[in-house]
Amino acid sequence: MAVIGVVAANRLVSSSFHRLDIDLGRPFTFRPGQFVMVNGAGPRALTFSRPFSILAAEGSVLSLLYRVVGRGTAELAAMAPGDAVSVLGPLGEPFPEPMAAQVTILLGGGVGLPPVHAWWRRWGRPGDVACFGARSGAEVPWDLLGDAWRVSVDDPDGLAPGRRAEVGVVTTLVPEAGELPATSPVVVLACGPLPLLRAAAALARARGWRCLVSLEEHMGCGYGVCKGCVVRVADGAGERNATCCHDGPVFDAADVCLLAPREGGSA
Amino acid sequence: MKRPGWWSLDMGAPFRLGPRVLPGRVWTASGCFGYGLAAHDFVAADGSGPYAGLGAVVTKTVTPQPRTGNPMPRLVETACGALNSIGLENVGFEAFLATVLPELEARGVPTIVSLAATRPDDFGPMARRLHEAASGFAHWHGVELNLSCPNVAEGGHDFGSSPDTVARCVAAARACLPDRALLAKLTPNTADIAALAAAARDAGVDAVAAINTVVGLDVDLATGQPHLPRRFGGYSGAAIQPIALAKVDQVVRGAGVPVVGVGGIASVEDAVKFFALGAVAVQVGTAQMRDPFAAAHVAAAIGQWSSS
Repeated sequence: MAVIGVVAANRLVSSSFHRLDIDLGRPFTFRPGQFVMVNGAGPRALTFSRPFSILAAEGSVLSLLYRVVGRGTAELAAMAPGDAVSVLGPLGEPFPEPMAAQVTILLGGGVGLPPVHAWWRRWGRPGDVACFGARSGAEVPWDLLGDAWRVSVDDPDGLAPGRRAEVGVVTTLVPEAGELPATSPVVVLACGPLPLLRAAAALARARGWRCLVSLEEHMGCGYGVCKGCVVRVADGAGERNATCCHDGPVFDAADVCLLAPREGGSA
Repeated sequence: MKRPGWWSLDMGAPFRLGPRVLPGRVWTASGCFGYGLAAHDFVAADGSGPYAGLGAVVTKTVTPQPRTGNPMPRLVETACGALNSIGLENVGFEAFLATVLPELEARGVPTIVSLAATRPDDFGPMARRLHEAASGFAHWHGVELNLSCPNVAEGGHDFGSSPDTVARCVAAARACLPDRALLAKLTPNTADIAALAAAARDAGVDAVAAINTVVGLDVDLATGQPHLPRRFGGYSGAAIQPIALAKVDQVVRGAGVPVVGVGGIASVEDAVKFFALGAVAVQVGTAQMRDPFAAAHVAAAIGQWSSS
């Protein structure tokens, strides 16, 4: 499980998104929605590894997407091809495979793009709707999205020439129910900041759609032992703590509390 | 690292601890490897599992009743360690006995059960229930008393900081555990850890584990407030290793009771320092969160070292 890989490439793919390709030296497989715990190797290791959703894996090369937000991601950004990196995974519960005739709406916000992008690449079908929201036009990683994704931005500044993006939140990109096949069940898969997940959950609830969200939490271990990433879940089995890393990170939006700790959503 | 010339332990020989023989002297520490089951299907590159060569998995602490634990955030990474305020979230003693311990036994995981309670008198009944429910278990080797939670019945101070209370907790458990190893995990947040160890020794422990986490606090610069909602947390990881080594030394020289060393051990070199001071075994804690194989790697490296 824990493997020391080698950085194959580490580069900016938009104004603030970095793509890290790690050659693990042996084939790596995953299911979309799963994640890995990443750390420096040897003396560069931090006390805790950091969780990253898996963007893609081709052969032995694992690809991640990150934005520098703290110490762990700053360390990652400083890594050069050939540097050793520790990878534990794949971990966590993935997004489910689509049912027959299902229409899937994918919502990715910021660096929450990888799990929905990976799902779209693996399972996406004509008729599915893939939506991505970024803070700014400059932040959109067009090479990953191509023309297939609908894109929204808070601020159009830096939008690449010839590219189109709506100004607003990503849920505004979701088609009206009447624009979707009436006979197909609709499932929303979302990953991004909590406001996005709440908006996705509210939209799905209003329209009678199922919504699955992939949560982001600070994690200590990534495999369920430290209980440092618990979220509140209320389902048929009652209300309880669940670990984001082991029981999630994918949860049914109808079951999981989508409030931040300081908003009263704590365990 | 190679076996140092001064090395005197025969790591391949049976490791007798009180009434039990354990399969090794490198363990995982409580709270850092769950109940020992979350990683059971992990496989290292060489095909080995995370229990390979381990002397014991010390379980996450179990309390008489289930606990939901403390509010989030519960973990803060600091420069060279981690602060935690998990709050002993656990399934509760009866659920542990009914589902967790049997699975550990079925998987052949050498197990030390960590117990905590809010009243010293609770340790006796828990030890008795364990003894009754698991007397036929071959892989359950003993109990480690986590004495670092607040003593609700006696003013809220950690029981672990009073020699008298340590002695009462140990004596209560010892009376009900005639054929399993009994350890008391000692707090470093005390002026005289050797006195605690001596009290535990006189009350009948087979070893003490030293040390539990160090009380710490970190400030969130964005808010000016402590990161953890309960202000203080337990500090662990690389930064506490010199503290742990000092405490182990004080216990070894001051109390004459076998010591299981714990505190900032992540590598063979770290573990060897504790053995050098006279520890009879070691526990790998916070490093286990980063690498589920951390303890297994240490065990593999030194597990066959002999005394000559």
